[in-house]
Amino acid sequence: MRKKILAGTVSAIAIAAGAFVIAQGAIAQGAQPGPFTQAQADAGRQAYNDNCAICHQPDLSGATDAPPLAGSAFFGAWKGRTTEALYTKISKTMPAGRGGSLDDATYTSIVAYILHANGAAAGTTPFTPAASVPIGAIATGKLAADVTNPPPAAAAAAPAGQPANVATSAGFARPGQAVRYGDPGRFTLPTKFGLTFKGSIQNYRPVTDEMLRNPPDGDWLMYRRNYAGWSYSPLSQINTSNVGTLQLKWMWSMPENGTMEDTPIVHDGIMYMWGTSNTIQALNAATGELLWENRLGPAPRSPGPGPSTEETRSMGLYGTNLYVNTPQGWVYALDARTGEEVWKTHITDQKPGIGGSTGGLIIINGKVLVGMTNCGRKGDDNHCYISAYDAKTGKRDWRFVTTALKGQPGGNSWNGLPDNERKGAETWIAGTYDPVLNTTYWGVAQAKPWRRDLRGTGTGATDYANSTLALDPDTGKLKWWHNHAPGETFDLDEVFERVLVDHGAQKTLLTIGKAGILWKLDRVTGKYLDHAETVFQNVFTRIDPKTGIPTYRADIIGQKVDQWLSSCPGPEGGHDWQATSYHQPSDTLIIPLSQSCVFMLGNGSETYFEMPGSDGNLGRLSAYRTSDLKPLWSFQQRAPFLTSVVSTAGNVAFVGDFDRVFRAVDVRNGQTLWKTRLGTTVQGYPVSFSVDGKQYIAVTTALGGGSPELKPGTMLTEVHRPPNGYALFVFGLPDAK
Amino acid sequence: MTFRPFVPLLFAVMALAAPAAAADYQTNLGPMPLDDETKAVIAGRGDATASYDGKTLTVKGSFHGLPSSATEAHIFQSPYMGVPGEKILDLEVTRSTSGTLSGSYALTGAQAAALRTGKLYIQINSEKAPPGYTWGPNGTLWGWLFPAHETVGQDVPQQGHWFIPQLDTPSR
Repeated sequence: MRKKILAGTVSAIAIAAGAFVIAQGAIAQGAQPGPFTQAQADAGRQAYNDNCAICHQPDLSGATDAPPLAGSAFFGAWKGRTTEALYTKISKTMPAGRGGSLDDATYTSIVAYILHANGAAAGTTPFTPAASVPIGAIATGKLAADVTNPPPAAAAAAPAGQPANVATSAGFARPGQAVRYGDPGRFTLPTKFGLTFKGSIQNYRPVTDEMLRNPPDGDWLMYRRNYAGWSYSPLSQINTSNVGTLQLKWMWSMPENGTMEDTPIVHDGIMYMWGTSNTIQALNAATGELLWENRLGPAPRSPGPGPSTEETRSMGLYGTNLYVNTPQGWVYALDARTGEEVWKTHITDQKPGIGGSTGGLIIINGKVLVGMTNCGRKGDDNHCYISAYDAKTGKRDWRFVTTALKGQPGGNSWNGLPDNERKGAETWIAGTYDPVLNTTYWGVAQAKPWRRDLRGTGTGATDYANSTLALDPDTGKLKWWHNHAPGETFDLDEVFERVLVDHGAQKTLLTIGKAGILWKLDRVTGKYLDHAETVFQNVFTRIDPKTGIPTYRADIIGQKVDQWLSSCPGPEGGHDWQATSYHQPSDTLIIPLSQSCVFMLGNGSETYFEMPGSDGNLGRLSAYRTSDLKPLWSFQQRAPFLTSVVSTAGNVAFVGDFDRVFRAVDVRNGQTLWKTRLGTTVQGYPVSFSVDGKQYIAVTTALGGGSPELKPGTMLTEVHRPPNGYALFVFGLPDAK
Repeated sequence: MTFRPFVPLLFAVMALAAPAAAADYQTNLGPMPLDDETKAVIAGRGDATASYDGKTLTVKGSFHGLPSSATEAHIFQSPYMGVPGEKILDLEVTRSTSGTLSGSYALTGAQAAALRTGKLYIQINSEKAPPGYTWGPNGTLWGWLFPAHETVGQDVPQQGHWFIPQLDTPSR
């Protein structure tokens, strides 16, 4: 609820009234001092760094789901609103998922710092929650010069006489971090890193190129199990007739804090797990016994569930090594038998502040291919790229920059922006591979900033953002690209899994992005073949039946920074990182879908609503035949799905959801055959494997992440989840008596 | 766009019909746009049906679970499905946190066309919902009127094609 505007003091009223006159009279912005003191702004800098910078970035420039809090994008969205509205917004909604968990002094100091960062001058009147001044009257939107400087020593002092930087739950936060005893998700961050338990796995069978091309039935050697990205297991011991008897075989608690969206990797009865803090563990896949552990570190930047920049979605096996890419941009080769480090390299050679890698990896012809996130800011010379490393040595072999620069194919699609203004185009989901065509296929995320009016790209397509890329894995050379959403503007990524399916002689590629449109391409040429709209969408008014090029809604084309715009789906996506499964025997693609929309104001504010026609069901699981994109079945439920799908030759598919339910459905009709309820959100990539002739299903529960966690976290007020419970669960059939 | 021959016959018939054709519509009323700041005052749920006999639109519905009492309800006309629009008709609504809504009106040709193409929506306002959003002061519940279609419970699979508004509502 928005409070009535009641200035707390006569002076505040006077300031507010004066500011209103100034704003109405179009006198120079920022002419009045702000309703805050310099001491508050200094204290706010520290509080901001402790509580906000992990998502909104130390320079307030924003990232992923966190909008910028300084500069033209912020100012455009907030100049017509008041300091009271900003305080209310922040105090009720932040930190993300834990709105209201900080004390008033901390919130007021953070608001003071944000005003300072946007060019507002400190005054003599301390800021209070009731102080209501139009932001456009006190700030300029020009970034303060000292924003990126380290806080002065005085910043550690308590704001407004309050002991804000004292950890009241000793040991439950990093030193100096302000917390309250009742804050959810506050747990000790690990401090011990390294090879904490060395393994001695005997008779390890090296993983070969042939195994990667034709994985053994009982193994799960890579992200989506096979190069084609199917997430399909040929195992059939667990099937539609007996899946109802499934029972828990063992579980394993995973490190808390941060974000986990992991794929268990399995080879010859050994399971490899990635946990937060880059904790890598080898387990006996039949019993859950720990075989080795290497805590690569670092710890998550903050206790509690983390943002969408702290996970890695899959590791990979090759030879005798386990390969790991980390959110911090490192690529490791660990000895799969002992856990010892073989080599490590950084994808940007440790360029300060640049380079993350969250999307897992793919190993092709002795090279480890990884994508990149966190690729620099407007005005610097950094760009996102896909890079390949020699699996034996870690030496970088090639890079492919995923933004088309001047002079390159597609380079004229950025409205003439200089190269150092072309940002975004992250690759946060690992690619797939066709060995016959010797081509690897990657999805690319949107250009940044999301909103095209802020980006300055006009109606340009911004290649290769939101495209499918076809690359030669030996050289990194571009074979072709297809832009699914030219000039995208709502954070509607088209970055997700590329699934390779042959229909007779026709080699196709299927992918579905946040717009919820299932695309089908010829993967030899990149030619558009077909599409199916799987959920409600109102972003595009037409899709060209010959080229697949969409036409945007008129108000999207003419958008303005201070205009609220509707987007269905919203950033949660009709489809997101929760990947599809291709059930090969029935030519069925099973797709986790979400049904929420957003109203977006510039890059500054978002409000969410249920998708029209969804009857309040945020979750939808749908199956399509890939030969003709015919819809086969669908069901809806209130909670969205937070896992990918795995299907098996037993005609069952498994999927988990936000509200802790893990279920098996009949691939042929969508009927639920079995379900159980786990400790917290079922999140990650379930897999199936076998050991000693017994088939198992493994899935993780976890928290943290971006829009798929955050949007339902706001909208599903009736769902209550524990803030902990990161774990691995392994299910199987009852033992024969 | 790929033609979907399996779209229910009902929708195909409606797509070919003139604006004056009789038809039934339905909507599920859910919370208007919210965030962590406003979700405590924007909540509740409801249902409504509408029948159009070629001249008169008759709306009936119910709602429950509002955090504060309903104050008014209207039909709005939007430029696109899912995009807020302009208020065009008033509805009777129970001034409470639960109750009913109703109304009966002769539609103009443009309004009838908007109904047929999924551009009319119902909105209920309440006392404590935010007054400042551009899409309507105190807006609390809303729902777009779509052609009558089958609805089922949670987890119940539907075989074949299932209702997707932009595919199953006439575009013109």
